[in-house]
Amino acid sequence: MAKSRVSSLLSRVVDIKPGEERIALLLFSYFFLITAPFTIIKAVRDASYLDGPGIDKLPYAYATALIVGIFVSLHTTLQVRVSRQRLITLSLIFFILTAGLFYGILFKGWTWLAIIYYMWANVFGVVVMTQFWMVMNDIFNPREAKRLIGFFGSGGILGGIAAGIVTALIAKKGEEHELFILVIALLIACIFVVRAIFAWQRNVTGIASPGGKKPPPMGREMERAGFKVSYDTVRKDSYLRLLAAAIILTVIVSTFIDWQYKSVVDQNQWAKARLTSFFGLFQAGLLVFSLLIQILLTSKLVKRFGILLALMVFPGVLFLGTVGIAIWANLLLGILIKGSDKSFSYSINQSARELLYIPVAPEKKYKAKAFIDMFVNRFSKTTGAVILFVVFLLVPNDFKARIRAISLVSVCFLIAWIFLNLKVSKAYVSTVKGKLEKEWERGDRIVDRAMDVETAKLVFDTLGSKDRSSNLYAMHLYDLLRKDKLTPEIKKLVGYESDEIRTASLGVLMEAEESPWTVHPDEELPADVLEKEIGEIMELESYQRLMKDFADRIVTEKGSDAETSKMELAKAISLMDSRSPLAASLDDLIKDDSPAVSRYAMEAAAKFKEREYVPLLILKLADPRTQEDAESALKKYGPRIVGMLGDYLEDPVEPLAVRKEVTAVLAGIGTPDVPEFLLRALAGNPEDLQSDLIDALDKIRSRQPDLAVPAEAVRMLIVKEVVHYTHAKDPSAVLNIFKLLGLVYSHEDIFRAYQNIQVGTKDSVAYALELLDYTLEKEMRDLVFPVLEDFTTAKKSS
Amino acid sequence: MVINKREKDSVVIFDIEGEIKRSDITDVTLHQLVKDQLESGKKHILLNFEKVEFIDSFGVGEILASYISTHNLGGKLKLARISKKLFLIFQVTMLTKVLDIVEDEETALQGFFKD
Repeated sequence: MAKSRVSSLLSRVVDIKPGEERIALLLFSYFFLITAPFTIIKAVRDASYLDGPGIDKLPYAYATALIVGIFVSLHTTLQVRVSRQRLITLSLIFFILTAGLFYGILFKGWTWLAIIYYMWANVFGVVVMTQFWMVMNDIFNPREAKRLIGFFGSGGILGGIAAGIVTALIAKKGEEHELFILVIALLIACIFVVRAIFAWQRNVTGIASPGGKKPPPMGREMERAGFKVSYDTVRKDSYLRLLAAAIILTVIVSTFIDWQYKSVVDQNQWAKARLTSFFGLFQAGLLVFSLLIQILLTSKLVKRFGILLALMVFPGVLFLGTVGIAIWANLLLGILIKGSDKSFSYSINQSARELLYIPVAPEKKYKAKAFIDMFVNRFSKTTGAVILFVVFLLVPNDFKARIRAISLVSVCFLIAWIFLNLKVSKAYVSTVKGKLEKEWERGDRIVDRAMDVETAKLVFDTLGSKDRSSNLYAMHLYDLLRKDKLTPEIKKLVGYESDEIRTASLGVLMEAEESPWTVHPDEELPADVLEKEIGEIMELESYQRLMKDFADRIVTEKGSDAETSKMELAKAISLMDSRSPLAASLDDLIKDDSPAVSRYAMEAAAKFKEREYVPLLILKLADPRTQEDAESALKKYGPRIVGMLGDYLEDPVEPLAVRKEVTAVLAGIGTPDVPEFLLRALAGNPEDLQSDLIDALDKIRSRQPDLAVPAEAVRMLIVKEVVHYTHAKDPSAVLNIFKLLGLVYSHEDIFRAYQNIQVGTKDSVAYALELLDYTLEKEMRDLVFPVLEDFTTAKKSS
Repeated sequence: MVINKREKDSVVIFDIEGEIKRSDITDVTLHQLVKDQLESGKKHILLNFEKVEFIDSFGVGEILASYISTHNLGGKLKLARISKKLFLIFQVTMLTKVLDIVEDEETALQGFFKD
């Protein structure tokens, strides 16, 4: 009961699923317990520096970031040698002890200590934040992370608000050193929360510690992720390089903004008189604003508009602030621009940035993240400091002049940042796509690519005819020869022997004339000579007259011998010209009851491509024995009969079996005008034909990815399938939805997403949905996602 | 042609007897039988050719159509116990490039689950 109460309470604020309550609260607490002490530490850091070395020396503090990076790289090295839990626990203990030390000595008035403390504070911030996000990435996949990231982030923001207010209150009394006792207490509590998180991880996944593996023995299995390895990991991966570049620009601009903000604070008498209190209060106020953004905006922004917009909000807002402070360099603008920088950084930007890491392979992620977050950040801060020094050299020591100059430089970096975010967003999609394996390809494409189906069938028929009729056998051999398919291998297989040709030559059909063929063993039969000679014979008027009499007699006869003769006749007609008088017998042969006879006749019709045969061929689609041959023959007609086939398709009077086969024929022809007929047929609500029509469209689109299909018509069909699924929970509706989506979006991407949803692991499903989330327009997403989420849940539980 | 169906370890096995040719089919074709199984959710189909004497081009079409239908739904179709002569024909006509042909039923069954 209590559990479901917690779940229902949480679900009002955040999209949380059953079973996630405990870990969600633990991570919320973890983030709270690291952000709170960091807020306190930062307030003391900034106040002690401005009181000590002063605003002009602030760039030196920024420049120490590189030194901080060296200490932080030690963390990177330890990361792969020590288990995650042990690393985090030892780090926290280190910070607890050093906080105790600063409690004793920081306020003794030693100016140099302010710089040491500044560095220590920065090390603290980087290490604890990196550790938190690593744990987060270990536990959640992209879809879960996207859903819950607002909630976790809020934990941090609440921690900052509470700590900011407490800092202001305690500092007001002049007891700044007491703040370190609070820091120590919070970090001790954090150790216990971290223990609970890893215990949960062990229970749920059976894995010893997040990250998936126990630390390997030294020198074996996993490569040590030292500085060089981490650097190389980033250097060699274009996506990681983009992320690193984006962070460089973010941090440099943030450094400029920080200097501008502290400059206006330093200039303001009221703030200068109570620095620690001011910075504490500022943090609290800043985080209230951040919390509102995080709870109300972050998850919704990312879910609704995707990564791109989430990434663009931050530099966009800073652009406005930078221009503003250049015009009005006062405390209010300083608070606004710094507030914007930090609030968006803690909320939307941090969330979006962490999401960008999620599709990166785990073995790369930890090496890269440590390098980017710890070293790149520090390096960028130092670069920002160097740029500030350069500006100070070039611009006179005038408060407003320097503020404006820094704003100008910021604007240039912000423009570069915006362009970079566009690239990052595209690269994110490619990386997600890269996680989706193509599980299988359409079977018909595999068959078409791997083999010559027509020749295969001809070989089988040749073999089959050998015992039945030597004439037919000979004609098949001739056909193979003509098509240049009578390879030595096939010759051997079909058991061609020249004696058989001699005794069963075409002369049997000619009756009056002697066969010109007396094939000797091993004698080559040149195809072109044979074709010419046989062609000339068949054109002889005497031949045609004789064969016409024979045909007229044979077509009405019944029985096995008659069937054989009719097969021979049909085959012979297929070797003739379409203007041959014998072709007049083709109608009767196509209509013949024997599927073997009609099959050869249909082959001849397909060769002649006369429209008069099309209705007869379509009739044969209804008979399962002749269906495939009729389909094959009709496909050979090609685009000229598309209109005629479309008429049959839309005619409800035609048998369903025929309409299904006509659909398959149209898919086989697949010219650009075919989809129009298929969509028109679909618009007529043909219940039993729906899936065949959609499959035909899918087949055409898979072969022609650039084929344009009217999007609105497809959308209406998707709506129908969604409604059908909602009522009937029919899995075939989901397949149809994907096939329809593949008509208007990238077929390859949609196909991959479907396959990974069908057969993939939990992560493959998540990446598939992530790809669809990015690919589909909002309206389409809103339409199909409820179906997909229901379908994937049903699959999981089945 | 006679086709008998049985199931073993969630694999549907069609034991085909006689000749697969267009003049010999009765009410339902091999492809239709395979499609029926696919529609009922089966994904593993084995065609047993031990007692198949002859195949014509119609038979080839049926086998390929069955393969395509199975494959398009993410399933697997295998052929087992094909005679040497028939296998040779399959090789020459490159059907072996597409179809998964195994020696016997046991190998096929193991292969389904290994895949």
